[in-house]
Amino acid sequence: MGPEAGVTGPEEPLTLRPVPDPNAARAHLGNLLIRTGSEDRAAFRELYDLTSAKLFGVVHRICGERTAAEDVVHEVYLLIWRRAGAWEPGRASPISWMATIARNRAIDWRRAAGVRAARPIEDADTVPDPSPDALTAAVAGDDRARLLGCMEALDPRTRDAIRTAFFDGLTYRELAERAGSPLATIKSVIRRGLQRLKSCLAPEGGDL
Amino acid sequence: MTADLPHDPAPDDETRAAELALGLIEGDERAAALRRVLAEPAFAAAVERWRVRFAQLFDLWPDAVPPPELIDRIDASLDGVVPSRGRRVPWPLIASVMTAIAACLLIFVAVRPDPVAPPPPPAADAPALVAGIAADKQVVGALYRPETGSLRVAASTLAPTGRVAQLWVIAGDAAPYPLGLLTGETTVIRLTPADRARIAAGATLAISIEPTGGSPTGLPTGPVVGTGGLSAV
Repeated sequence: MGPEAGVTGPEEPLTLRPVPDPNAARAHLGNLLIRTGSEDRAAFRELYDLTSAKLFGVVHRICGERTAAEDVVHEVYLLIWRRAGAWEPGRASPISWMATIARNRAIDWRRAAGVRAARPIEDADTVPDPSPDALTAAVAGDDRARLLGCMEALDPRTRDAIRTAFFDGLTYRELAERAGSPLATIKSVIRRGLQRLKSCLAPEGGDL
Repeated sequence: MTADLPHDPAPDDETRAAELALGLIEGDERAAALRRVLAEPAFAAAVERWRVRFAQLFDLWPDAVPPPELIDRIDASLDGVVPSRGRRVPWPLIASVMTAIAACLLIFVAVRPDPVAPPPPPAADAPALVAGIAADKQVVGALYRPETGSLRVAASTLAPTGRVAQLWVIAGDAAPYPLGLLTGETTVIRLTPADRARIAAGATLAISIEPTGGSPTGLPTGPVVGTGGLSAV
């Protein structure tokens, strides 16, 4: 119902729904996770349908090879099946919770397999750029908008380093190797960036 | 090892927490930070906050479509996997029974601390290992039998309602590794061969309090209520 509901006239509210409601999508995922926690296989399958492209994307990028990514994703969904009961609504969003499990597992796999995280330089361009999504983000949720805004406020080199660390799951050492920079330089660039992020995200003071 | 560089001073706590959440540090630095997660609730909370912050970026991650048959493979493998349910066990009803079981196991563990010449176990010359995990108001006994690969842990209620106690092993400088959930009664954990390799004299067992189902991150997220070293008997 729009604010002027009750007034007869053109059905304006219908034209004001250009995108699916992200909150509804999130609530639906949350529901599926909760049902998965009580061994509902149909819910688990739907959860998989809705999230596997994201999770496979996360894992594939970090593992770097498809077969390994399939095995890791398999393991990730088994973990989700087992741990769905632990997900708490109101804490992390369902997709964040699942993607964090996927990212951590993929990094564990890569480090255990001793796979070097080297990647052709042109691949670096595929690190997603938050800018085009800023508007969506602003609509979708304050937290994300704030994080993206604060990331944007960093200088490009620092922003790229932090983004690469996140999206490719790299350590300081691996970042330094890839960039061909001294380890100490990478460390100080990122540390300064993290401190700026922190004060941008929580300007009122540390919560530690 | 990257020890050829002069050791740089550790950053402030918030930065260290962010480094751990992002996975930037490794080796001794990571191990030290993980030990702080175990020991310092404020630090653990800071790591979790950073994890949640960075998780906002997952939306930007490019999708990739997995092979269509993967879901069937996953579905087929669910059968042996029991989900951890949010179901509550009626603690007051069985607490006394569990305490009794725990006491029995403790006696069992305590009675065999140092036999002069332990007979070598069949099929494996590795000795049994025990640990006494000093938790809040009790000592949790743990006994590992290498010949069966089973780890038996006796504990009465460790976690408040709605939380679970999770057992970890910390071998040397390695990260805490989850071994299983302690249900409150005697828990026997059958370790996989990979997990068995982590159980050795000198390694530390630790118990943390986690959300139902166990830590969602693979690392301890809640307060650590006890630690104890494994030693051979």
